[in-house]
Amino acid sequence: MNHNEDPPVRLKGVGDSLWVSVNPTLPIEQLKKELVKPFERLKHLAINARIIIDTGKDDQESNNRLIEELGSYLKSEFQVGHVTKPTPPKRSVNKNRIRQQDMGNAWHHYRNDGLLIAGRVRSGQIIQAKKHLIILGDLNPGAEVIAGGDIIILGCLQGKASAGQPDNESAIIMALEFKPTQIQIGGFVAAGMADASADRPEFACVENNAIIVDDYIKGNPFRRLAWPEVR
Amino acid sequence: MDGKVIVVTSGKGGVGKTTISASIGAAMAMQGKRVAIVDMDIGLRNLDVVMGLENRIVFNIIDIIKGNCKIKQAAIKDRRIDNLYLIPASQSDDKNAIKPENMVWLTNQLRKEFDITLLDCPAGIEQGFKNSIAAADEALVVCTPEVSAVRDADRIIGLLYAQSITPKLIVNRIVPEMVKNGDMLSHEDVVEVLAIDLIGLIEMDDQVVVATNTGTPLVLKEASKAGMALQRIAMRLNGHPDLPIENPMDKKSFWKKLGSKFSRKN
Repeated sequence: MNHNEDPPVRLKGVGDSLWVSVNPTLPIEQLKKELVKPFERLKHLAINARIIIDTGKDDQESNNRLIEELGSYLKSEFQVGHVTKPTPPKRSVNKNRIRQQDMGNAWHHYRNDGLLIAGRVRSGQIIQAKKHLIILGDLNPGAEVIAGGDIIILGCLQGKASAGQPDNESAIIMALEFKPTQIQIGGFVAAGMADASADRPEFACVENNAIIVDDYIKGNPFRRLAWPEVR
Repeated sequence: MDGKVIVVTSGKGGVGKTTISASIGAAMAMQGKRVAIVDMDIGLRNLDVVMGLENRIVFNIIDIIKGNCKIKQAAIKDRRIDNLYLIPASQSDDKNAIKPENMVWLTNQLRKEFDITLLDCPAGIEQGFKNSIAAADEALVVCTPEVSAVRDADRIIGLLYAQSITPKLIVNRIVPEMVKNGDMLSHEDVVEVLAIDLIGLIEMDDQVVVATNTGTPLVLKEASKAGMALQRIAMRLNGHPDLPIENPMDKKSFWKKLGSKFSRKN
Protein backbone atom coordinates (compact mmCIF):
# COMPACT_ATOMS: atom_id res chain seq x y z
CA MET A 1 0.00 0.00 0.00
CA ASN A 2 1.20 3.44 -0.81
CA HIS A 3 0.94 5.83 2.10
CA ASN A 4 3.74 8.12 1.06
CA GLU A 5 1.67 10.62 -0.88
CA ASP A 6 -1.85 11.83 -0.38
CA PRO A 7 -3.79 11.96 -3.63
CA PRO A 8 -3.86 15.59 -4.79
CA VAL A 9 -7.68 15.72 -4.71
CA ARG A 10 -10.25 13.69 -2.79
CA LEU A 11 -13.98 14.04 -2.87
CA LYS A 12 -16.64 12.71 -0.53
CA GLY A 13 -20.19 13.53 0.39
CA VAL A 14 -20.69 15.09 3.81
CA GLY A 15 -24.28 15.86 4.79
CA ASP A 16 -25.76 17.96 2.03
CA SER A 17 -22.35 19.07 0.73
CA LEU A 18 -19.42 17.73 -1.18
CA TRP A 19 -16.21 17.79 0.78
CA VAL A 20 -13.21 18.33 -1.46
CA SER A 21 -9.82 17.79 0.11
CA VAL A 22 -6.96 19.25 -1.82
CA ASN A 23 -3.24 19.14 -1.31
CA PRO A 24 -2.25 22.84 -1.03
CA THR A 25 1.43 22.20 -1.70
CA LEU A 26 0.75 21.37 -5.31
CA PRO A 27 0.59 24.13 -7.94
CA ILE A 28 -2.86 25.45 -8.65
CA GLU A 29 -2.89 24.41 -12.32
CA GLN A 30 -2.28 20.77 -11.37
CA LEU A 31 -5.07 20.92 -8.80
CA LYS A 32 -7.49 22.26 -11.41
CA LYS A 33 -6.57 19.37 -13.73
CA GLU A 34 -7.06 16.85 -10.91
CA LEU A 35 -10.44 18.39 -9.99
CA VAL A 36 -11.75 17.87 -13.50
CA LYS A 37 -11.68 14.06 -13.22
CA PRO A 38 -14.04 13.58 -10.26
CA PHE A 39 -16.33 16.48 -11.19
CA GLU A 40 -16.76 15.20 -14.74
CA ARG A 41 -17.83 11.88 -13.28
CA LEU A 42 -20.41 13.65 -11.09
CA LYS A 43 -22.03 15.22 -14.20
CA HIS A 44 -25.31 16.89 -13.30
CA LEU A 45 -24.90 16.13 -9.55
CA ALA A 46 -22.31 18.89 -9.40
CA ILE A 47 -24.77 21.53 -10.58
CA ASN A 48 -25.76 23.81 -7.75
CA ALA A 49 -24.02 21.55 -5.22
CA ARG A 50 -22.60 22.98 -2.03
CA ILE A 51 -18.86 22.55 -2.05
CA ILE A 52 -16.49 22.69 0.91
CA ILE A 53 -12.84 22.96 0.00
CA ASP A 54 -10.52 21.67 2.66
CA THR A 55 -6.85 22.47 2.34
CA GLY A 56 -6.06 20.75 5.61
CA LYS A 57 -4.51 23.89 7.03
CA ASP A 58 -5.63 26.71 9.27
CA ASP A 59 -6.90 29.96 7.82
CA GLN A 60 -4.18 31.77 5.99
CA GLU A 61 -4.07 34.34 3.25
CA SER A 62 -2.71 31.90 0.68
CA ASN A 63 -5.25 29.30 1.64
CA ASN A 64 -8.13 31.69 1.23
CA ARG A 65 -6.88 32.75 -2.17
CA LEU A 66 -6.46 29.11 -3.25
CA ILE A 67 -9.99 28.28 -2.13
CA GLU A 68 -11.36 31.38 -3.86
CA GLU A 69 -9.64 30.59 -7.12
CA LEU A 70 -10.58 26.91 -7.11
CA GLY A 71 -14.14 27.92 -6.20
CA SER A 72 -14.54 30.28 -9.10
CA TYR A 73 -12.98 27.67 -11.40
CA LEU A 74 -15.50 25.05 -10.25
CA LYS A 75 -18.38 27.50 -10.53
CA SER A 76 -17.49 28.39 -14.14
CA GLU A 77 -16.65 24.85 -15.27
CA PHE A 78 -19.24 22.72 -13.45
CA GLN A 79 -21.94 25.21 -12.35
CA VAL A 80 -21.54 24.32 -8.68
CA GLY A 81 -23.52 26.38 -6.19
CA HIS A 82 -21.87 27.60 -3.05
CA VAL A 83 -18.18 27.19 -2.28
CA THR A 84 -16.86 27.67 1.27
CA LYS A 85 -13.96 26.67 3.40
CA PRO A 86 -14.59 24.21 6.22
CA THR A 87 -16.08 25.82 9.31
CA PRO A 88 -14.87 24.63 12.70
CA PRO A 89 -17.30 22.12 14.25
CA LYS A 90 -20.11 23.90 16.02
CA ARG A 91 -19.76 24.11 19.77
CA SER A 92 -22.97 23.67 21.64
CA VAL A 93 -23.84 27.00 23.15
CA ASN A 94 -25.41 25.77 26.37
CA LYS A 95 -23.33 22.70 26.93
CA ASN A 96 -23.26 23.27 30.64
CA ARG A 97 -26.99 23.54 30.97
CA ILE A 98 -27.57 20.51 28.79
CA ARG A 99 -25.24 18.48 30.92
CA GLN A 100 -27.02 19.60 34.05
CA GLN A 101 -30.35 18.64 32.58
CA ASP A 102 -28.93 15.28 31.62
CA MET A 103 -27.72 14.71 35.14
CA GLY A 104 -31.06 15.80 36.50
CA ASN A 105 -32.72 13.07 34.50
CA ALA A 106 -29.90 10.59 34.76
CA TRP A 107 -31.87 8.04 36.77
CA HIS A 108 -34.23 7.51 33.84
CA HIS A 109 -31.54 5.62 32.01
CA TYR A 110 -29.56 4.43 35.00
CA ARG A 111 -29.04 0.73 35.53
CA ASN A 112 -28.80 0.01 39.22
CA ASP A 113 -25.58 -1.68 40.23
CA GLY A 114 -26.01 -1.49 43.98
CA LEU A 115 -26.50 -4.57 46.13
CA LEU A 116 -29.54 -4.64 48.39
CA ILE A 117 -29.60 -7.28 51.08
CA ALA A 118 -32.17 -8.04 53.75
CA GLY A 119 -31.37 -9.93 56.94
CA ARG A 120 -28.86 -10.17 59.71
CA VAL A 121 -25.19 -10.51 58.79
CA ARG A 122 -23.60 -12.75 61.40
CA SER A 123 -20.08 -13.15 62.70
CA GLY A 124 -17.77 -14.71 60.14
CA GLN A 125 -19.90 -13.76 57.19
CA ILE A 126 -18.44 -11.43 54.57
CA ILE A 127 -20.51 -9.54 52.03
CA GLN A 128 -18.81 -7.88 49.11
CA ALA A 129 -20.42 -5.47 46.66
CA LYS A 130 -18.87 -4.00 43.54
CA LYS A 131 -20.57 -0.68 44.12
CA HIS A 132 -23.02 0.50 46.77
CA LEU A 133 -24.26 -1.86 49.47
CA ILE A 134 -27.51 -1.51 51.36
CA ILE A 135 -28.37 -3.85 54.20
CA LEU A 136 -31.86 -3.98 55.62
CA GLY A 137 -30.88 -5.52 58.93
CA ASP A 138 -28.11 -5.60 61.47
CA LEU A 139 -24.41 -6.25 61.06
CA ASN A 140 -23.24 -8.28 64.06
CA PRO A 141 -19.79 -8.02 65.64
CA GLY A 142 -17.34 -10.16 63.70
CA ALA A 143 -19.19 -9.73 60.42
CA GLU A 144 -17.65 -7.76 57.57
CA VAL A 145 -19.00 -5.82 54.60
CA ILE A 146 -16.91 -4.46 51.75
CA ALA A 147 -18.19 -2.16 49.02
CA GLY A 148 -16.75 -0.23 46.13
CA GLY A 149 -19.11 2.64 46.92
CA ASP A 150 -21.26 3.61 49.88
CA ILE A 151 -22.48 1.33 52.64
CA ILE A 152 -25.90 2.00 54.07
CA ILE A 153 -27.15 -0.11 56.93
CA LEU A 154 -30.77 0.27 57.91
CA GLY A 155 -30.15 -1.34 61.25
CA CYS A 156 -27.34 -1.59 63.75
CA LEU A 157 -23.76 -1.59 62.49
CA GLN A 158 -21.57 -3.48 64.96
CA GLY A 159 -19.13 -5.26 62.70
CA LYS A 160 -16.50 -4.04 60.26
CA ALA A 161 -17.45 -1.93 57.26
CA SER A 162 -15.13 -0.98 54.39
CA ALA A 163 -16.56 1.49 51.91
CA GLY A 164 -15.04 2.93 48.75
CA GLN A 165 -12.63 0.07 48.29
CA PRO A 166 -9.97 0.35 47.04
CA ASP A 167 -9.58 4.12 46.59
CA ASN A 168 -12.88 6.00 46.56
CA GLU A 169 -12.53 8.47 49.40
CA SER A 170 -15.82 10.17 48.70
CA ALA A 171 -17.77 7.11 49.86
CA ILE A 172 -19.79 7.20 53.06
CA ILE A 173 -20.90 4.65 55.62
CA MET A 174 -24.30 5.23 57.16
CA ALA A 175 -26.15 3.27 59.81
CA LEU A 176 -29.25 3.85 61.89
CA GLU A 177 -27.24 2.71 64.90
CA PHE A 178 -23.55 3.34 64.43
CA LYS A 179 -21.41 1.11 66.67
CA PRO A 180 -18.78 -0.38 64.35
CA THR A 181 -15.70 -2.29 65.48
CA GLN A 182 -13.77 -0.73 62.62
CA ILE A 183 -14.52 1.27 59.51
CA GLN A 184 -12.52 1.93 56.36
CA ILE A 185 -13.17 4.48 53.66
CA GLY A 186 -10.80 4.27 50.72
CA GLY A 187 -7.40 3.97 52.34
CA PHE A 188 -8.40 5.47 55.69
CA VAL A 189 -9.03 3.33 58.73
CA ALA A 190 -10.77 4.23 61.97
CA ALA A 191 -11.35 2.10 65.03
CA GLY A 192 -14.80 2.07 66.54
CA MET A 193 -15.26 3.73 69.88
CA ALA A 194 -16.58 1.65 72.74
CA ASP A 195 -18.90 4.31 74.09
CA ALA A 196 -20.26 5.52 70.75
CA SER A 197 -23.90 4.74 71.33
CA ALA A 198 -25.97 7.61 70.01
CA ASP A 199 -29.30 6.09 69.08
CA ARG A 200 -29.51 8.32 66.05
CA PRO A 201 -28.58 7.66 62.45
CA GLU A 202 -24.96 8.54 61.92
CA PHE A 203 -22.61 8.48 58.98
CA ALA A 204 -18.86 8.45 58.42
CA CYS A 205 -16.97 10.19 55.65
CA VAL A 206 -13.47 11.40 54.91
CA GLU A 207 -12.74 15.02 55.68
CA ASN A 208 -9.25 16.60 55.86
CA ASN A 209 -7.58 13.23 55.48
CA ALA A 210 -9.39 11.68 58.41
CA ILE A 211 -12.58 9.77 58.94
CA ILE A 212 -15.21 11.73 60.80
CA VAL A 213 -18.54 10.54 62.16
CA ASP A 214 -21.50 12.88 62.27
CA ASP A 215 -25.21 12.89 62.95
CA TYR A 216 -26.88 12.05 59.67
CA ILE A 217 -29.91 14.27 60.16
CA LYS A 218 -27.89 17.34 61.14
CA GLY A 219 -24.85 16.85 58.96
CA ASN A 220 -26.48 15.29 55.92
CA PRO A 221 -23.72 15.60 53.32
CA PHE A 222 -26.09 15.43 50.35
CA ARG A 223 -28.41 18.21 51.38
CA ARG A 224 -26.09 20.71 49.76
CA LEU A 225 -26.42 19.13 46.33
CA ALA A 226 -28.57 21.33 44.13
CA TRP A 227 -29.55 18.55 41.76
CA PRO A 228 -30.55 15.01 42.45
CA GLU A 229 -27.82 13.01 40.83
CA VAL A 230 -26.81 9.44 40.41
CA ARG A 231 -24.18 8.44 42.91
CA MET B 1 -39.70 -45.45 66.44
CA ASP B 2 -38.20 -42.36 64.87
CA GLY B 3 -36.38 -40.24 67.40
CA LYS B 4 -35.07 -36.70 67.32
CA VAL B 5 -31.40 -35.74 67.13
CA ILE B 6 -30.47 -32.56 68.98
CA VAL B 7 -26.99 -31.07 68.91
CA VAL B 8 -25.73 -28.95 71.80
CA THR B 9 -23.14 -26.51 70.54
CA SER B 10 -21.61 -23.11 71.27
CA GLY B 11 -18.49 -22.37 69.28
CA LYS B 12 -16.58 -21.14 72.30
CA GLY B 13 -15.24 -23.65 74.79
CA GLY B 14 -16.05 -23.75 78.48
CA VAL B 15 -19.54 -22.26 78.32
CA GLY B 16 -21.22 -25.38 79.66
CA LYS B 17 -22.14 -27.55 76.68
CA THR B 18 -21.18 -30.81 78.35
CA THR B 19 -22.91 -30.02 81.65
CA ILE B 20 -26.03 -28.90 79.84
CA SER B 21 -26.04 -31.97 77.58
CA ALA B 22 -25.74 -34.29 80.56
CA SER B 23 -28.39 -32.45 82.58
CA ILE B 24 -30.95 -32.05 79.81
CA GLY B 25 -30.43 -35.69 78.86
CA ALA B 26 -30.97 -36.78 82.47
CA ALA B 27 -34.03 -34.56 82.85
CA MET B 28 -35.64 -35.86 79.69
CA ALA B 29 -34.98 -39.44 80.73
CA MET B 30 -36.61 -38.68 84.09
CA GLN B 31 -39.59 -37.32 82.15
CA GLY B 32 -39.97 -40.70 80.52
CA LYS B 33 -38.08 -40.55 77.24
CA ARG B 34 -35.40 -42.97 76.10
CA VAL B 35 -32.34 -40.76 75.78
CA ALA B 36 -28.87 -41.34 74.35
CA ILE B 37 -26.17 -38.76 74.89
CA VAL B 38 -23.28 -38.99 72.45
CA ASP B 39 -19.93 -37.43 73.34
CA MET B 40 -18.64 -35.95 70.08
CA ASP B 41 -15.49 -34.53 71.64
CA ILE B 42 -13.24 -37.29 70.36
CA GLY B 43 -9.77 -37.11 71.86
CA LEU B 44 -10.87 -34.89 74.77
CA ARG B 45 -13.76 -36.77 76.26
CA ASN B 46 -15.42 -35.26 79.33
CA LEU B 47 -19.04 -36.29 79.27
CA ASP B 48 -18.34 -39.65 80.90
CA VAL B 49 -16.76 -37.86 83.89
CA VAL B 50 -19.60 -35.36 84.20
CA MET B 51 -22.10 -38.23 84.15
CA GLY B 52 -20.01 -40.32 86.54
CA LEU B 53 -19.70 -43.23 84.13
CA GLU B 54 -15.99 -43.11 83.26
CA ASN B 55 -15.15 -46.43 84.97
CA ARG B 56 -17.66 -48.35 82.86
CA ILE B 57 -16.41 -47.50 79.38
CA VAL B 58 -15.55 -50.58 77.33
CA PHE B 59 -16.35 -49.56 73.76
CA ASN B 60 -16.70 -46.09 72.30
CA ILE B 61 -18.14 -44.29 69.28
CA ILE B 62 -15.14 -45.12 67.10
CA ASP B 63 -15.64 -48.82 67.82
CA ILE B 64 -19.26 -48.55 66.72
CA ILE B 65 -18.35 -46.78 63.49
CA LYS B 66 -15.51 -49.19 62.71
CA GLY B 67 -17.88 -52.08 63.33
CA ASN B 68 -15.94 -53.45 66.29
CA CYS B 69 -19.06 -53.55 68.43
CA LYS B 70 -22.80 -53.00 68.35
CA ILE B 71 -24.46 -49.84 69.57
CA LYS B 72 -25.99 -51.73 72.52
CA GLN B 73 -22.54 -52.85 73.63
CA ALA B 74 -21.10 -49.33 73.58
CA ALA B 75 -24.08 -47.50 75.12
CA ILE B 76 -23.56 -47.26 78.89
CA LYS B 77 -26.75 -47.33 80.92
CA ASP B 78 -27.00 -44.91 83.82
CA ARG B 79 -27.84 -46.80 87.03
CA ARG B 80 -29.56 -43.87 88.78
CA ILE B 81 -31.82 -42.78 85.95
CA ASP B 82 -33.71 -45.23 83.78
CA ASN B 83 -33.65 -44.84 80.02
CA LEU B 84 -30.48 -42.72 80.06
CA TYR B 85 -27.55 -43.94 77.97
CA LEU B 86 -24.12 -42.56 77.18
CA ILE B 87 -22.14 -43.28 74.04
CA PRO B 88 -18.65 -42.21 75.03
CA ALA B 89 -15.98 -40.69 72.82
CA SER B 90 -12.63 -42.28 72.23
CA GLN B 91 -9.76 -40.67 74.09
CA SER B 92 -7.00 -41.97 71.80
CA ASP B 93 -8.30 -40.90 68.37
CA ASP B 94 -8.98 -37.43 67.05
CA LYS B 95 -11.90 -35.68 65.38
CA ASN B 96 -10.81 -36.72 61.89
CA ALA B 97 -11.36 -40.37 62.76
CA ILE B 98 -15.02 -40.02 61.81
CA LYS B 99 -16.75 -38.33 58.93
CA PRO B 100 -20.16 -36.66 58.61
CA GLU B 101 -21.45 -39.70 56.66
CA ASN B 102 -20.56 -41.94 59.60
CA MET B 103 -22.59 -39.70 61.88
CA VAL B 104 -25.58 -39.78 59.57
CA TRP B 105 -25.46 -43.57 59.65
CA LEU B 106 -24.96 -43.68 63.44
CA THR B 107 -27.79 -41.27 64.21
CA ASN B 108 -30.12 -43.17 61.89
CA GLN B 109 -29.40 -46.28 63.98
CA LEU B 110 -29.91 -44.33 67.20
CA ARG B 111 -33.23 -42.87 66.00
CA LYS B 112 -34.62 -46.40 65.91
CA GLU B 113 -33.61 -47.09 69.51
CA PHE B 114 -34.04 -43.77 71.30
CA ASP B 115 -36.62 -40.98 71.45
CA ILE B 116 -33.95 -38.35 71.86
CA THR B 117 -30.32 -38.39 70.82
CA LEU B 118 -28.27 -35.53 72.27
CA LEU B 119 -24.95 -34.77 70.60
CA ASP B 120 -22.45 -32.99 72.82
CA CYS B 121 -20.53 -30.98 70.23
CA PRO B 122 -16.89 -30.03 70.79
CA ALA B 123 -15.81 -26.38 70.77
CA GLY B 124 -14.72 -24.90 67.47
CA ILE B 125 -16.07 -25.07 63.94
CA GLU B 126 -13.78 -27.76 62.57
CA GLN B 127 -14.29 -31.44 61.87
CA GLY B 128 -15.88 -32.21 65.24
CA PHE B 129 -18.51 -29.53 64.71
CA LYS B 130 -19.15 -30.61 61.13
CA ASN B 131 -19.58 -34.22 62.24
CA SER B 132 -22.00 -33.14 64.95
CA ILE B 133 -24.29 -30.99 62.85
CA ALA B 134 -24.31 -33.28 59.81
CA ALA B 135 -27.06 -35.43 61.27
CA ALA B 136 -28.84 -33.05 63.65
CA ASP B 137 -32.53 -32.14 63.39
CA GLU B 138 -32.39 -29.43 66.00
CA ALA B 139 -29.71 -27.40 67.70
CA LEU B 140 -29.29 -25.79 71.08
CA VAL B 141 -26.75 -22.98 71.12
CA VAL B 142 -25.22 -22.33 74.54
CA CYS B 143 -23.92 -18.87 75.20
CA THR B 144 -22.65 -17.11 78.32
CA PRO B 145 -23.25 -13.38 78.75
CA GLU B 146 -19.77 -12.50 77.51
CA VAL B 147 -18.88 -10.64 74.35
CA SER B 148 -16.51 -13.39 73.20
CA ALA B 149 -19.08 -16.15 73.68
CA VAL B 150 -21.73 -14.09 71.87
CA ARG B 151 -19.40 -13.56 68.93
CA ASP B 152 -18.68 -17.30 68.61
CA ALA B 153 -22.32 -18.23 69.08
CA ASP B 154 -23.22 -15.80 66.32
CA ARG B 155 -20.81 -17.55 63.96
CA ILE B 156 -22.19 -20.95 64.93
CA ILE B 157 -25.75 -19.76 64.34
CA GLY B 158 -24.79 -18.61 60.86
CA LEU B 159 -23.28 -22.02 60.11
CA LEU B 160 -26.34 -23.82 61.48
CA TYR B 161 -28.68 -21.73 59.33
CA ALA B 162 -26.48 -22.60 56.36
CA GLN B 163 -27.29 -26.26 57.16
CA SER B 164 -31.02 -25.41 57.39
CA ILE B 165 -31.06 -26.00 61.15
CA THR B 166 -32.94 -23.38 63.18
CA PRO B 167 -31.19 -23.19 66.54
CA LYS B 168 -32.56 -22.30 69.96
CA LEU B 169 -30.62 -20.32 72.52
CA ILE B 170 -29.65 -21.12 76.10
CA VAL B 171 -28.00 -18.29 78.03
CA ASN B 172 -25.88 -19.88 80.73
CA ARG B 173 -24.12 -18.54 83.84
CA ILE B 174 -26.15 -15.42 84.39
CA VAL B 175 -25.13 -13.56 87.57
CA PRO B 176 -28.16 -11.37 88.35
CA GLU B 177 -26.21 -9.05 90.65
CA MET B 178 -23.63 -8.31 87.99
CA VAL B 179 -26.31 -7.74 85.36
CA LYS B 180 -28.07 -5.37 87.74
CA ASN B 181 -24.85 -3.40 88.25
CA GLY B 182 -24.27 -3.25 84.52
CA ASP B 183 -21.10 -5.36 84.75
CA MET B 184 -22.52 -8.21 82.70
CA LEU B 185 -24.54 -8.42 79.50
CA SER B 186 -28.19 -9.12 80.18
CA HIS B 187 -29.88 -11.97 78.35
CA GLU B 188 -31.84 -9.33 76.42
CA ASP B 189 -28.55 -7.95 75.08
CA VAL B 190 -27.49 -11.44 74.02
CA VAL B 191 -30.82 -12.18 72.34
CA GLU B 192 -30.73 -8.83 70.59
CA VAL B 193 -27.46 -9.66 68.87
CA LEU B 194 -28.12 -13.33 68.19
CA ALA B 195 -31.77 -12.89 67.18
CA ILE B 196 -32.90 -16.48 67.70
CA ASP B 197 -35.56 -18.02 69.93
CA LEU B 198 -34.65 -18.35 73.57
CA ILE B 199 -35.35 -21.71 75.20
CA GLY B 200 -33.87 -21.16 78.66
CA LEU B 201 -31.91 -18.97 81.05
CA ILE B 202 -29.55 -20.58 83.52
CA GLU B 203 -28.24 -18.77 86.55
CA MET B 204 -24.66 -19.12 87.81
CA ASP B 205 -24.72 -21.94 90.36
CA ASP B 206 -21.94 -23.35 92.56
CA GLN B 207 -23.77 -26.66 92.68
CA VAL B 208 -22.70 -27.27 89.08
CA VAL B 209 -19.05 -27.61 90.08
CA VAL B 210 -19.93 -30.06 92.84
CA ALA B 211 -22.15 -32.10 90.54
CA THR B 212 -19.57 -32.31 87.74
CA ASN B 213 -16.76 -33.26 90.11
CA THR B 214 -18.76 -35.99 91.80
CA GLY B 215 -20.42 -37.17 88.61
CA THR B 216 -23.94 -36.83 89.97
CA PRO B 217 -26.69 -35.53 87.66
CA LEU B 218 -27.39 -31.90 88.42
CA VAL B 219 -31.12 -32.33 87.91
CA LEU B 220 -31.28 -34.72 90.87
CA LYS B 221 -30.28 -31.85 93.17
CA GLU B 222 -33.50 -30.16 94.20
CA ALA B 223 -31.68 -27.16 95.64
CA SER B 224 -29.85 -26.31 92.44
CA LYS B 225 -31.22 -23.32 90.58
CA ALA B 226 -29.34 -24.34 87.47
CA GLY B 227 -30.69 -27.88 87.77
CA MET B 228 -34.25 -26.60 87.94
CA ALA B 229 -33.72 -24.31 84.96
CA LEU B 230 -32.36 -27.28 83.01
CA GLN B 231 -35.36 -29.39 83.94
CA ARG B 232 -37.63 -26.72 82.55
CA ILE B 233 -35.56 -26.55 79.33
CA ALA B 234 -35.97 -30.33 79.03
CA MET B 235 -39.73 -29.94 79.45
CA ARG B 236 -39.83 -27.30 76.73
CA LEU B 237 -38.00 -29.67 74.40
CA ASN B 238 -40.25 -32.45 75.55
CA GLY B 239 -43.62 -31.29 74.38
CA HIS B 240 -44.21 -28.20 76.54
CA PRO B 241 -42.80 -25.47 74.33
CA ASP B 242 -44.93 -22.77 75.96
CA LEU B 243 -43.61 -23.26 79.49
CA PRO B 244 -42.70 -19.69 80.48
CA ILE B 245 -39.03 -18.84 80.73
CA GLU B 246 -38.17 -17.64 84.21
CA ASN B 247 -35.99 -14.60 84.31
CA PRO B 248 -33.30 -14.95 86.99
CA MET B 249 -33.42 -11.18 87.34
CA ASP B 250 -36.96 -10.85 88.67
CA LYS B 251 -37.10 -14.32 90.23
CA LYS B 252 -34.75 -13.12 92.96
CA SER B 253 -36.77 -10.10 93.88
CA PHE B 254 -40.23 -11.67 93.65
CA TRP B 255 -39.79 -15.12 95.20
CA LYS B 256 -37.39 -13.97 97.90
CA LYS B 257 -39.77 -11.27 99.05
CA LEU B 258 -42.67 -13.70 99.06
CA GLY B 259 -40.63 -16.32 100.90
CA SER B 260 -39.45 -13.90 103.56
CA LYS B 261 -43.01 -12.68 104.19
CA PHE B 262 -44.25 -16.20 104.86
CA SER B 263 -41.30 -17.03 107.09
CA ARG B 264 -41.92 -13.96 109.24
CA LYS B 265 -45.54 -14.89 109.81
CA ASN B 266 -44.54 -18.36 110.91
